[in-house]
Amino acid sequence: MNAIEIRNLTKSFGEKQALGGLNMTVPVGAIYGFIGENGSGKSTTEKIVCGLIHESGGSVTLFGKPHTDGDVRAKIGVLIEAPGCFPNYSVWNNMKLQAANLGVRNADEEIVKVLKLVRMEGAASNKYKNCSLGMKQRIGIAMALLGDPELLVLDEPINGLDADGMRIMREVLTDLAKKGRTIVISSHILGELEKIATHYGIVRGGKMLCEMTAEELDASCRTYVALQTKDMPRTKAVLGGKYSRVEEDEAGYLRVYDTTTPEEIVTHLYQNGILVGEIKTDKIGLEEYYIDLMKEGKR
Amino acid sequence: MARELKFESPSFAQRLKGMLGVDFYRLFHTPLFYIFLAIAAVIPAMILGTMGSEGAEQLYTNTWHIIAAETPLYVVNGISEYANMNMVFIFGGIMVSIFIGHDYKSGYVKQLFTTHAKKEDYMMSKSLVGAFSMACMCVTYLFGAMLAGLLVQTSFEVNAGSLLCAVLGKMVMSLGWASLYTFLNIIFRKYFGVSIASSFFFGTGILIIGAAAIVGNSSVLNIFLYGASVYACLSANFVTLIVCIACSAAWAAIYNVLGARILAKCDVY
Repeated sequence: MNAIEIRNLTKSFGEKQALGGLNMTVPVGAIYGFIGENGSGKSTTEKIVCGLIHESGGSVTLFGKPHTDGDVRAKIGVLIEAPGCFPNYSVWNNMKLQAANLGVRNADEEIVKVLKLVRMEGAASNKYKNCSLGMKQRIGIAMALLGDPELLVLDEPINGLDADGMRIMREVLTDLAKKGRTIVISSHILGELEKIATHYGIVRGGKMLCEMTAEELDASCRTYVALQTKDMPRTKAVLGGKYSRVEEDEAGYLRVYDTTTPEEIVTHLYQNGILVGEIKTDKIGLEEYYIDLMKEGKR
Repeated sequence: MARELKFESPSFAQRLKGMLGVDFYRLFHTPLFYIFLAIAAVIPAMILGTMGSEGAEQLYTNTWHIIAAETPLYVVNGISEYANMNMVFIFGGIMVSIFIGHDYKSGYVKQLFTTHAKKEDYMMSKSLVGAFSMACMCVTYLFGAMLAGLLVQTSFEVNAGSLLCAVLGKMVMSLGWASLYTFLNIIFRKYFGVSIASSFFFGTGILIIGAAAIVGNSSVLNIFLYGASVYACLSANFVTLIVCIACSAAWAAIYNVLGARILAKCDVY
Protein backbone atom coordinates (compact mmCIF):
# COMPACT_ATOMS: atom_id res chain seq x y z
CA MET A 1 0.00 0.00 0.00
CA ASN A 2 1.19 3.51 -0.78
CA ALA A 3 0.79 6.41 1.61
CA ILE A 4 -0.09 8.75 -1.25
CA GLU A 5 -1.25 7.85 -4.72
CA ILE A 6 -2.09 10.66 -7.08
CA ARG A 7 -3.35 10.03 -10.57
CA ASN A 8 -3.91 12.61 -13.32
CA LEU A 9 -4.33 15.43 -10.85
CA THR A 10 -5.41 18.70 -12.39
CA LYS A 11 -6.08 22.07 -10.84
CA SER A 12 -6.94 25.36 -12.46
CA PHE A 13 -7.24 28.77 -10.87
CA GLY A 14 -9.49 30.52 -13.35
CA GLU A 15 -7.66 30.51 -16.67
CA LYS A 16 -4.36 29.45 -15.13
CA GLN A 17 -3.62 25.74 -14.98
CA ALA A 18 -1.48 24.95 -11.93
CA LEU A 19 -1.48 21.17 -12.33
CA GLY A 20 -1.82 19.39 -15.63
CA GLY A 21 -2.24 15.67 -14.94
CA LEU A 22 0.25 15.10 -12.15
CA ASN A 23 0.99 11.54 -11.02
CA MET A 24 2.74 10.81 -7.75
CA THR A 25 3.37 7.72 -5.64
CA VAL A 26 4.72 7.90 -2.11
CA PRO A 27 5.38 4.54 -0.44
CA VAL A 28 4.63 4.07 3.25
CA GLY A 29 7.66 4.92 5.39
CA ALA A 30 9.35 7.06 2.74
CA ILE A 31 10.88 10.47 3.17
CA TYR A 32 9.75 11.89 -0.13
CA GLY A 33 11.64 14.91 -1.38
CA PHE A 34 9.24 16.93 -3.49
CA ILE A 35 11.27 19.22 -5.71
CA GLY A 36 10.42 21.82 -8.28
CA GLU A 37 10.82 25.43 -9.27
CA ASN A 38 8.65 28.16 -7.81
CA GLY A 39 5.19 27.88 -9.35
CA SER A 40 5.77 24.32 -10.54
CA GLY A 41 2.77 23.04 -8.56
CA LYS A 42 4.35 21.64 -5.39
CA SER A 43 2.34 23.70 -2.92
CA THR A 44 -0.85 23.25 -4.93
CA THR A 45 -0.39 19.48 -4.84
CA GLU A 46 0.32 19.54 -1.11
CA LYS A 47 -2.69 21.75 -0.43
CA ILE A 48 -4.92 19.33 -2.34
CA VAL A 49 -3.50 16.36 -0.43
CA CYS A 50 -4.16 18.23 2.83
CA GLY A 51 -7.72 19.16 1.87
CA LEU A 52 -7.15 22.90 1.74
CA ILE A 53 -8.08 23.24 -1.91
CA HIS A 54 -10.15 21.14 -4.26
CA GLU A 55 -8.76 19.38 -7.28
CA SER A 56 -10.26 20.13 -10.68
CA GLY A 57 -9.76 16.53 -11.79
CA GLY A 58 -7.95 13.29 -11.07
CA SER A 59 -7.76 11.26 -7.88
CA VAL A 60 -5.86 11.39 -4.62
CA THR A 61 -5.81 8.45 -2.23
CA LEU A 62 -4.09 8.34 1.15
CA PHE A 63 -3.35 4.87 2.50
CA GLY A 64 -5.82 3.48 -0.01
CA LYS A 65 -8.68 5.77 1.04
CA PRO A 66 -9.95 8.95 -0.61
CA HIS A 67 -8.06 11.96 0.73
CA THR A 68 -11.30 13.52 1.97
CA ASP A 69 -12.01 10.56 4.25
CA GLY A 70 -12.32 11.76 7.86
CA ASP A 71 -10.59 8.67 9.30
CA VAL A 72 -7.47 9.17 7.25
CA ARG A 73 -7.46 12.95 7.71
CA ALA A 74 -7.24 12.43 11.47
CA LYS A 75 -3.79 10.97 10.94
CA ILE A 76 -2.18 13.68 8.85
CA GLY A 77 0.22 16.27 10.21
CA VAL A 78 0.72 19.36 8.12
CA LEU A 79 2.95 22.37 7.90
CA ILE A 80 2.08 24.42 4.84
CA GLU A 81 3.92 27.73 4.55
CA ALA A 82 3.75 29.00 8.17
CA PRO A 83 1.94 27.39 11.12
CA GLY A 84 -1.56 28.74 11.72
CA CYS A 85 -1.15 30.17 15.19
CA PHE A 86 -2.73 33.04 17.08
CA PRO A 87 0.03 35.62 17.52
CA ASN A 88 -1.05 36.85 20.94
CA TYR A 89 -1.28 33.40 22.50
CA SER A 90 1.65 31.55 23.95
CA VAL A 91 3.24 28.65 22.10
CA TRP A 92 1.77 26.31 24.71
CA ASN A 93 -1.78 27.66 24.29
CA ASN A 94 -1.56 27.44 20.52
CA MET A 95 -0.47 23.84 20.87
CA LYS A 96 -3.32 23.19 23.31
CA LEU A 97 -5.85 24.56 20.85
CA GLN A 98 -4.58 22.35 18.06
CA ALA A 99 -4.55 19.36 20.41
CA ALA A 100 -8.19 20.09 21.30
CA ASN A 101 -9.14 20.24 17.62
CA LEU A 102 -7.38 16.95 17.01
CA GLY A 103 -9.00 15.36 20.06
CA VAL A 104 -5.59 14.38 21.44
CA ARG A 105 -5.79 12.43 24.69
CA ASN A 106 -3.27 13.40 27.40
CA ALA A 107 -2.72 16.64 25.54
CA ASP A 108 -0.27 18.11 28.05
CA GLU A 109 2.03 15.09 27.91
CA GLU A 110 1.84 14.97 24.15
CA ILE A 111 2.66 18.68 23.81
CA VAL A 112 5.66 18.38 26.12
CA LYS A 113 6.83 15.40 24.04
CA VAL A 114 6.63 17.10 20.66
CA LEU A 115 8.10 20.37 21.92
CA LYS A 116 11.02 18.42 23.35
CA LEU A 117 11.48 16.66 20.02
CA VAL A 118 12.02 19.98 18.26
CA ARG A 119 13.97 21.41 21.22
CA MET A 120 11.35 24.06 21.89
CA GLU A 121 10.31 23.10 25.42
CA GLY A 122 11.96 26.23 26.79
CA ALA A 123 9.87 28.49 24.58
CA ALA A 124 6.46 27.10 25.56
CA SER A 125 5.49 30.19 27.53
CA ASN A 126 6.67 32.63 24.84
CA LYS A 127 4.05 34.50 22.90
CA TYR A 128 3.96 33.14 19.37
CA LYS A 129 4.40 36.61 17.87
CA ASN A 130 7.68 37.01 19.75
CA CYS A 131 9.22 33.84 18.29
CA SER A 132 11.84 34.04 15.54
CA LEU A 133 11.18 32.60 12.07
CA GLY A 134 13.23 29.51 12.90
CA MET A 135 11.34 29.00 16.15
CA LYS A 136 8.03 29.36 14.35
CA GLN A 137 9.06 26.69 11.87
CA ARG A 138 9.94 24.34 14.71
CA ILE A 139 6.62 25.09 16.41
CA GLY A 140 4.92 24.30 13.12
CA ILE A 141 6.67 20.94 13.00
CA ALA A 142 5.74 20.25 16.62
CA MET A 143 2.13 21.10 15.82
CA ALA A 144 2.19 18.78 12.81
CA LEU A 145 3.49 16.00 15.05
CA LEU A 146 0.57 16.28 17.48
CA GLY A 147 -1.74 13.28 17.41
CA ASP A 148 0.99 10.89 16.23
CA PRO A 149 0.30 11.29 12.48
CA GLU A 150 1.00 8.55 9.96
CA LEU A 151 1.67 11.07 7.21
CA LEU A 152 3.49 14.37 7.51
CA VAL A 153 3.24 16.94 4.74
CA LEU A 154 5.82 19.65 5.20
CA ASP A 155 6.15 22.59 2.86
CA GLU A 156 9.55 24.28 3.14
CA PRO A 157 10.00 23.27 6.79
CA ILE A 158 13.69 24.13 6.95
CA ASN A 159 13.25 27.70 5.75
CA GLY A 160 14.64 30.06 8.32
CA LEU A 161 16.36 27.37 10.36
CA ASP A 162 19.95 27.78 11.46
CA ALA A 163 22.50 24.97 11.08
CA ASP A 164 21.57 23.49 14.45
CA GLY A 165 17.88 23.74 13.65
CA MET A 166 18.43 21.90 10.36
CA ARG A 167 20.35 19.16 12.14
CA ILE A 168 17.56 18.75 14.70
CA MET A 169 15.00 18.65 11.93
CA ARG A 170 17.00 15.98 10.10
CA GLU A 171 17.18 13.86 13.22
CA VAL A 172 13.47 14.22 13.97
CA LEU A 173 12.38 13.35 10.43
CA THR A 174 14.78 10.43 10.07
CA ASP A 175 13.64 9.08 13.42
CA LEU A 176 9.98 9.33 12.38
CA ALA A 177 10.66 7.53 9.12
CA LYS A 178 12.39 4.76 11.04
CA LYS A 179 9.18 4.35 13.02
CA GLY A 180 7.31 3.83 9.76
CA ARG A 181 5.87 7.30 9.35
CA THR A 182 5.68 8.74 5.85
CA ILE A 183 6.99 12.23 5.21
CA VAL A 184 6.53 14.43 2.16
CA ILE A 185 8.87 17.35 2.29
CA SER A 186 9.26 20.10 -0.26
CA SER A 187 12.30 22.30 -0.07
CA HIS A 188 14.60 24.40 -2.18
CA ILE A 189 17.52 23.54 0.08
CA LEU A 190 18.40 20.44 -1.91
CA GLY A 191 21.65 19.79 -0.08
CA GLU A 192 19.69 19.25 3.14
CA LEU A 193 17.01 17.22 1.42
CA GLU A 194 19.61 14.93 -0.07
CA LYS A 195 20.78 13.98 3.41
CA ILE A 196 17.43 12.50 4.45
CA ALA A 197 15.22 11.73 1.44
CA THR A 198 14.65 8.12 0.45
CA HIS A 199 12.52 9.00 -2.56
CA TYR A 200 12.30 11.96 -4.89
CA GLY A 201 9.67 13.49 -7.08
CA ILE A 202 10.66 16.27 -9.44
CA VAL A 203 7.80 18.38 -10.68
CA ARG A 204 7.80 20.91 -13.47
CA GLY A 205 4.98 22.92 -15.02
CA GLY A 206 2.34 21.06 -13.02
CA LYS A 207 3.52 17.62 -14.15
CA MET A 208 5.77 15.02 -12.57
CA LEU A 209 9.03 15.04 -14.46
CA CYS A 210 10.39 11.95 -12.73
CA GLU A 211 10.14 9.93 -9.54
CA MET A 212 13.02 7.86 -8.21
CA THR A 213 14.50 6.35 -5.10
CA ALA A 214 17.66 7.73 -3.53
CA GLU A 215 19.53 4.71 -4.93
CA GLU A 216 18.22 5.36 -8.42
CA LEU A 217 19.24 8.99 -8.14
CA ASP A 218 22.70 7.94 -7.02
CA ALA A 219 22.99 5.64 -10.02
CA SER A 220 21.78 8.37 -12.38
CA CYS A 221 24.19 10.97 -11.09
CA ARG A 222 27.14 11.28 -13.40
CA THR A 223 30.70 10.93 -12.12
CA TYR A 224 33.28 13.50 -13.13
CA VAL A 225 36.96 14.15 -12.71
CA ALA A 226 37.88 17.41 -10.98
CA LEU A 227 41.39 18.88 -11.15
CA GLN A 228 43.49 21.94 -10.47
CA THR A 229 46.67 23.10 -12.18
CA LYS A 230 48.77 26.25 -12.03
CA ASP A 231 47.57 27.35 -15.48
CA MET A 232 43.83 26.81 -15.47
CA PRO A 233 42.94 28.70 -18.70
CA ARG A 234 45.47 26.69 -20.72
CA THR A 235 44.42 23.46 -19.04
CA LYS A 236 40.82 24.18 -19.98
CA ALA A 237 41.82 24.80 -23.56
CA VAL A 238 43.88 21.60 -23.75
CA LEU A 239 41.17 19.47 -22.16
CA GLY A 240 38.52 21.16 -24.31
CA GLY A 241 40.37 19.91 -27.35
CA LYS A 242 39.93 16.30 -26.27
CA TYR A 243 36.78 16.15 -24.12
CA SER A 244 33.30 17.32 -24.99
CA ARG A 245 32.27 18.79 -21.61
CA VAL A 246 34.80 20.64 -19.50
CA GLU A 247 33.48 23.18 -17.00
CA GLU A 248 34.90 25.22 -14.15
CA ASP A 249 33.04 24.86 -10.84
CA GLU A 250 32.47 27.36 -8.03
CA ALA A 251 35.43 26.00 -6.03
CA GLY A 252 37.84 26.72 -8.88
CA TYR A 253 38.20 23.12 -10.13
CA LEU A 254 37.95 22.07 -13.74
CA ARG A 255 35.45 19.29 -14.18
CA VAL A 256 35.61 16.74 -16.98
CA TYR A 257 32.24 15.03 -17.34
CA ASP A 258 33.20 12.65 -20.17
CA THR A 259 33.87 8.98 -19.46
CA THR A 260 37.52 8.94 -18.56
CA THR A 261 39.99 8.28 -15.73
CA PRO A 262 42.25 10.61 -13.74
CA GLU A 263 45.28 8.70 -15.10
CA GLU A 264 44.25 9.34 -18.68
CA ILE A 265 43.77 13.06 -18.00
CA VAL A 266 47.09 13.40 -16.14
CA THR A 267 48.90 11.69 -19.05
CA HIS A 268 47.20 13.88 -21.63
CA LEU A 269 48.07 17.08 -19.75
CA TYR A 270 51.65 15.93 -19.11
CA GLN A 271 52.07 15.35 -22.83
CA ASN A 272 50.97 18.98 -23.31
CA GLY A 273 53.43 20.30 -20.72
CA ILE A 274 50.95 20.81 -17.88
CA LEU A 275 51.49 19.39 -14.41
CA VAL A 276 48.41 18.51 -12.36
CA GLY A 277 48.36 19.85 -8.78
CA GLU A 278 45.26 18.01 -7.51
CA ILE A 279 42.87 15.53 -9.12
CA LYS A 280 39.88 13.55 -7.83
CA THR A 281 36.75 11.79 -9.02
CA ASP A 282 33.35 12.73 -7.64
CA LYS A 283 29.63 12.51 -8.36
CA ILE A 284 27.21 15.33 -8.98
CA GLY A 285 24.75 15.87 -6.12
CA LEU A 286 21.00 16.25 -6.14
CA GLU A 287 21.26 19.98 -6.72
CA GLU A 288 23.33 19.64 -9.89
CA TYR A 289 21.27 16.71 -11.07
CA TYR A 290 18.15 18.81 -10.61
CA ILE A 291 19.67 21.82 -12.39
CA ASP A 292 20.74 19.58 -15.30
CA LEU A 293 17.28 18.08 -15.48
CA MET A 294 15.69 21.51 -15.53
CA LYS A 295 18.08 22.64 -18.28
CA GLU A 296 17.24 19.55 -20.34
CA GLY A 297 13.55 20.25 -19.83
CA LYS A 298 13.94 23.79 -21.07
CA ARG A 299 15.87 22.75 -24.17
CA MET B 1 6.88 -7.17 10.06
CA ALA B 2 4.74 -4.39 8.64
CA ARG B 3 3.16 -2.08 11.17
CA GLU B 4 -0.60 -2.16 11.23
CA LEU B 5 -2.12 1.20 10.35
CA LYS B 6 -5.22 2.20 12.25
CA PHE B 7 -7.41 5.03 11.10
CA GLU B 8 -10.37 6.20 13.12
CA SER B 9 -11.61 9.72 13.41
CA PRO B 10 -13.34 11.20 16.46
CA SER B 11 -17.13 11.11 16.60
CA PHE B 12 -19.25 14.17 15.83
CA ALA B 13 -19.63 14.87 19.57
CA GLN B 14 -15.87 14.65 20.14
CA ARG B 15 -15.16 16.89 17.17
CA LEU B 16 -17.68 19.52 18.22
CA LYS B 17 -16.49 19.38 21.82
CA GLY B 18 -12.91 20.01 20.69
CA MET B 19 -13.88 22.86 18.39
CA LEU B 20 -16.21 24.48 20.92
CA GLY B 21 -13.46 24.18 23.52
CA VAL B 22 -11.13 26.10 21.24
CA ASP B 23 -13.69 28.75 20.33
CA PHE B 24 -14.85 29.32 23.91
CA TYR B 25 -11.24 29.52 25.06
CA ARG B 26 -10.61 32.16 22.43
CA LEU B 27 -13.81 34.02 23.31
CA PHE B 28 -12.94 34.24 27.01
CA HIS B 29 -9.35 35.22 26.22
CA THR B 30 -10.15 37.94 23.74
CA PRO B 31 -10.44 41.48 25.17
CA LEU B 32 -12.93 42.28 22.42
CA PHE B 33 -15.57 40.13 24.09
CA TYR B 34 -15.35 42.10 27.33
CA ILE B 35 -15.25 45.38 25.43
CA PHE B 36 -18.51 44.50 23.70
CA LEU B 37 -20.06 43.37 26.99
CA ALA B 38 -19.14 46.75 28.43
CA ILE B 39 -20.49 48.57 25.37
CA ALA B 40 -23.74 46.61 25.65
CA ALA B 41 -24.06 47.75 29.28
CA VAL B 42 -23.09 51.35 28.65
CA ILE B 43 -25.30 52.03 25.60
CA PRO B 44 -28.69 51.77 27.40
CA ALA B 45 -27.28 53.68 30.33
CA MET B 46 -26.12 56.44 28.00
CA ILE B 47 -29.47 56.65 26.22
CA LEU B 48 -31.47 56.70 29.44
CA GLY B 49 -28.96 59.05 31.08
CA THR B 50 -29.07 61.51 28.21
CA MET B 51 -32.84 61.86 28.42
CA GLY B 52 -32.48 62.92 32.03
CA SER B 53 -30.19 65.79 31.22
CA GLU B 54 -31.60 69.26 31.07
CA GLY B 55 -33.08 70.30 27.72
CA ALA B 56 -32.84 66.81 26.26
CA GLU B 57 -35.86 65.28 24.63
CA GLN B 58 -37.83 62.85 26.80
CA LEU B 59 -37.30 59.58 24.94
CA TYR B 60 -38.47 57.04 27.50
CA THR B 61 -40.82 57.21 30.47
CA ASN B 62 -40.39 53.55 31.38
CA THR B 63 -37.03 51.85 31.96
CA TRP B 64 -38.10 48.69 30.12
CA HIS B 65 -38.73 50.57 26.89
CA ILE B 66 -34.98 50.59 26.40
CA ILE B 67 -35.21 46.77 26.45
CA ALA B 68 -38.14 46.37 24.07
CA ALA B 69 -41.11 48.25 22.64
CA GLU B 70 -44.57 47.93 24.18
CA THR B 71 -45.94 46.27 21.06
CA PRO B 72 -44.19 44.84 17.97
CA LEU B 73 -43.12 47.88 15.92
CA TYR B 74 -41.70 46.79 12.61
CA VAL B 75 -42.22 50.27 11.18
CA VAL B 76 -39.77 52.59 12.89
CA ASN B 77 -40.80 56.21 13.26
CA GLY B 78 -38.18 57.42 15.71
CA ILE B 79 -35.02 56.53 17.53
CA SER B 80 -36.90 55.57 20.70
CA GLU B 81 -38.80 52.92 18.77
CA TYR B 82 -35.59 51.56 17.36
CA ALA B 83 -33.12 51.81 20.22
CA ASN B 84 -33.63 48.73 22.35
CA MET B 85 -31.99 45.41 23.09
CA ASN B 86 -31.94 44.56 19.35
CA MET B 87 -28.89 46.81 19.11
CA VAL B 88 -26.96 44.00 20.76
CA PHE B 89 -27.27 42.07 17.52
CA ILE B 90 -25.34 44.79 15.69
CA PHE B 91 -22.48 44.60 18.20
CA GLY B 92 -22.62 40.82 17.98
CA GLY B 93 -22.32 40.97 14.20
CA ILE B 94 -19.16 43.03 14.39
CA MET B 95 -17.76 40.69 17.02
CA VAL B 96 -18.44 37.57 14.97
CA SER B 97 -16.81 39.26 11.96
CA ILE B 98 -13.65 40.03 13.89
CA PHE B 99 -13.63 36.55 15.45
CA ILE B 100 -13.87 34.75 12.11
CA GLY B 101 -11.55 37.31 10.50
CA HIS B 102 -8.86 36.27 12.99
CA ASP B 103 -9.37 32.62 12.01
CA TYR B 104 -8.36 33.44 8.46
CA LYS B 105 -5.75 36.08 9.20
CA SER B 106 -3.83 33.86 11.62
CA GLY B 107 -4.00 30.81 9.38
CA TYR B 108 -5.97 28.91 12.04
CA VAL B 109 -8.49 27.67 9.47
CA LYS B 110 -5.64 26.24 7.46
CA GLN B 111 -4.43 24.37 10.51
CA LEU B 112 -7.98 23.29 11.33
CA PHE B 113 -9.16 22.04 7.96
CA THR B 114 -6.12 19.90 7.31
CA THR B 115 -7.35 17.73 10.19
CA HIS B 116 -10.54 15.68 10.33
CA ALA B 117 -12.56 18.83 11.12
CA LYS B 118 -15.73 19.14 9.09
CA LYS B 119 -17.11 22.31 7.65
CA GLU B 120 -20.45 21.75 9.40
CA ASP B 121 -18.67 21.58 12.75
CA TYR B 122 -16.97 24.88 12.03
CA MET B 123 -20.25 26.61 11.17
CA MET B 124 -21.96 25.15 14.21
CA SER B 125 -19.17 26.03 16.59
CA LYS B 126 -18.92 29.64 15.42
CA SER B 127 -22.71 30.05 15.52
CA LEU B 128 -22.94 28.69 19.06
CA VAL B 129 -20.08 30.78 20.37
CA GLY B 130 -21.42 33.87 18.61
CA ALA B 131 -24.88 33.19 20.06
CA PHE B 132 -23.43 32.78 23.53
CA SER B 133 -21.55 36.07 23.29
CA MET B 134 -24.68 37.90 22.11
CA ALA B 135 -26.77 36.33 24.86
CA CYS B 136 -24.18 37.57 27.37
CA MET B 137 -24.43 41.03 25.82
CA CYS B 138 -28.22 40.88 26.27
CA VAL B 139 -27.66 40.24 29.98
CA THR B 140 -25.20 43.13 30.43
CA TYR B 141 -27.53 45.33 28.39
CA LEU B 142 -30.36 44.42 30.76
CA PHE B 143 -28.26 45.26 33.82
CA GLY B 144 -26.98 48.46 32.24
CA ALA B 145 -30.57 49.54 31.53
CA MET B 146 -31.77 48.70 35.05
CA LEU B 147 -28.90 50.58 36.66
CA ALA B 148 -29.49 53.61 34.46
CA GLY B 149 -33.22 53.42 35.19
CA LEU B 150 -32.47 53.54 38.91
CA LEU B 151 -30.15 56.49 38.45
CA VAL B 152 -32.52 58.59 36.32
CA GLN B 153 -35.57 57.30 38.21
CA THR B 154 -37.70 56.19 35.29
CA SER B 155 -40.67 53.94 35.92
CA PHE B 156 -40.07 50.21 36.40
CA GLU B 157 -43.69 49.26 35.90
CA VAL B 158 -44.00 46.14 33.75
CA ASN B 159 -45.66 42.78 33.37
CA ALA B 160 -42.82 40.62 34.70
CA GLY B 161 -43.88 37.56 32.67
CA SER B 162 -43.92 39.51 29.42
CA LEU B 163 -40.59 41.12 30.22
CA LEU B 164 -39.08 37.69 30.90
CA CYS B 165 -40.51 36.32 27.62
CA ALA B 166 -39.19 39.37 25.74
CA VAL B 167 -35.67 39.12 27.16
CA LEU B 168 -35.55 35.35 26.72
CA GLY B 169 -36.98 35.73 23.21
CA LYS B 170 -34.23 38.16 22.25
CA MET B 171 -31.58 35.97 23.82
CA VAL B 172 -32.88 32.98 21.89
CA MET B 173 -32.72 35.02 18.68
CA SER B 174 -28.96 35.31 19.22
CA LEU B 175 -28.48 31.88 17.65
CA GLY B 176 -30.21 32.87 14.42
CA TRP B 177 -28.29 36.13 14.23
CA ALA B 178 -24.95 34.48 14.99
CA SER B 179 -25.62 31.92 12.25
CA LEU B 180 -26.43 34.72 9.78
CA TYR B 181 -23.20 36.54 10.64
CA THR B 182 -21.16 33.35 10.41
CA PHE B 183 -22.69 32.70 7.01
CA LEU B 184 -21.94 36.26 5.82
CA ASN B 185 -18.37 35.99 7.04
CA ILE B 186 -17.92 32.71 5.21
CA ILE B 187 -19.08 34.34 1.98
CA PHE B 188 -16.83 37.38 2.42
CA ARG B 189 -14.03 35.54 4.22
CA LYS B 190 -11.36 37.02 2.00
CA TYR B 191 -12.63 40.58 2.46
CA PHE B 192 -12.60 41.51 6.11
CA GLY B 193 -14.00 45.03 5.59
CA VAL B 194 -16.91 43.74 3.53
CA SER B 195 -17.61 41.11 6.22
CA ILE B 196 -17.94 43.75 8.91
CA ALA B 197 -19.96 46.08 6.69
CA SER B 198 -22.38 43.30 5.69
CA SER B 199 -22.80 42.21 9.31
CA PHE B 200 -23.55 45.78 10.30
CA PHE B 201 -25.95 46.24 7.39
CA PHE B 202 -28.00 43.13 8.14
CA GLY B 203 -27.72 43.65 11.91
CA THR B 204 -29.53 46.98 11.71
CA GLY B 205 -32.57 45.16 10.31
CA ILE B 206 -32.79 47.79 7.61
CA LEU B 207 -34.24 45.35 5.07
CA ILE B 208 -37.13 44.39 7.34
CA ILE B 209 -37.68 48.01 8.39
CA GLY B 210 -37.81 48.84 4.68
CA ALA B 211 -40.23 45.99 4.00
CA ALA B 212 -42.35 47.10 6.94
CA ALA B 213 -42.65 50.54 5.39
CA ILE B 214 -44.42 48.80 2.50
CA VAL B 215 -46.45 46.05 4.21
CA GLY B 216 -46.98 47.88 7.51
CA ASN B 217 -46.82 46.38 11.00
CA SER B 218 -47.47 42.88 9.71
CA SER B 219 -46.79 39.81 11.84
CA VAL B 220 -45.70 38.04 8.62
CA LEU B 221 -42.36 39.72 9.23
CA ASN B 222 -41.91 37.47 12.27
CA ILE B 223 -40.55 34.77 10.02
CA PHE B 224 -37.40 36.89 9.63
CA LEU B 225 -34.71 37.38 12.23
CA TYR B 226 -35.29 41.07 12.78
CA GLY B 227 -39.07 40.62 12.71
CA ALA B 228 -39.01 37.92 15.39
CA SER B 229 -36.56 39.99 17.44
CA VAL B 230 -39.01 42.91 17.36
CA TYR B 231 -41.88 40.55 18.16
CA ALA B 232 -40.19 39.82 21.49
CA CYS B 233 -41.62 42.97 23.08
CA LEU B 234 -43.15 43.99 26.40
CA SER B 235 -46.49 42.42 25.44
CA ALA B 236 -44.76 39.08 24.72
CA ASN B 237 -46.09 35.81 26.02
CA PHE B 238 -45.16 32.17 25.88
CA VAL B 239 -46.26 31.95 22.23
CA THR B 240 -43.88 34.79 21.41
CA LEU B 241 -41.06 32.80 22.94
CA ILE B 242 -42.02 29.74 20.88
CA VAL B 243 -42.08 31.89 17.70
CA CYS B 244 -38.61 33.21 18.55
CA ILE B 245 -37.25 29.73 19.21
CA ALA B 246 -38.73 28.39 15.95
CA CYS B 247 -37.52 31.35 13.88
CA SER B 248 -34.04 31.33 15.40
CA ALA B 249 -33.64 27.56 15.02
CA ALA B 250 -34.94 27.55 11.45
CA TRP B 251 -32.63 30.34 10.28
CA ALA B 252 -29.71 28.86 12.20
CA ALA B 253 -30.25 25.56 10.39
CA ILE B 254 -30.59 27.25 7.00
CA TYR B 255 -27.49 29.41 7.41
CA ASN B 256 -25.45 26.56 8.84
CA VAL B 257 -26.31 24.24 5.97
CA LEU B 258 -25.66 26.95 3.36
CA GLY B 259 -22.41 28.03 5.02
CA ALA B 260 -21.14 24.46 5.28
CA ARG B 261 -21.96 23.89 1.60
CA ILE B 262 -20.11 27.02 0.55
CA LEU B 263 -17.09 26.04 2.63
CA ALA B 264 -17.16 22.54 1.20
CA LYS B 265 -17.33 23.82 -2.38
CA CYS B 266 -14.68 26.51 -2.10
CA ASP B 267 -10.97 26.34 -1.48
CA VAL B 268 -10.25 26.97 2.17
CA TYR B 269 -7.03 28.88 1.94
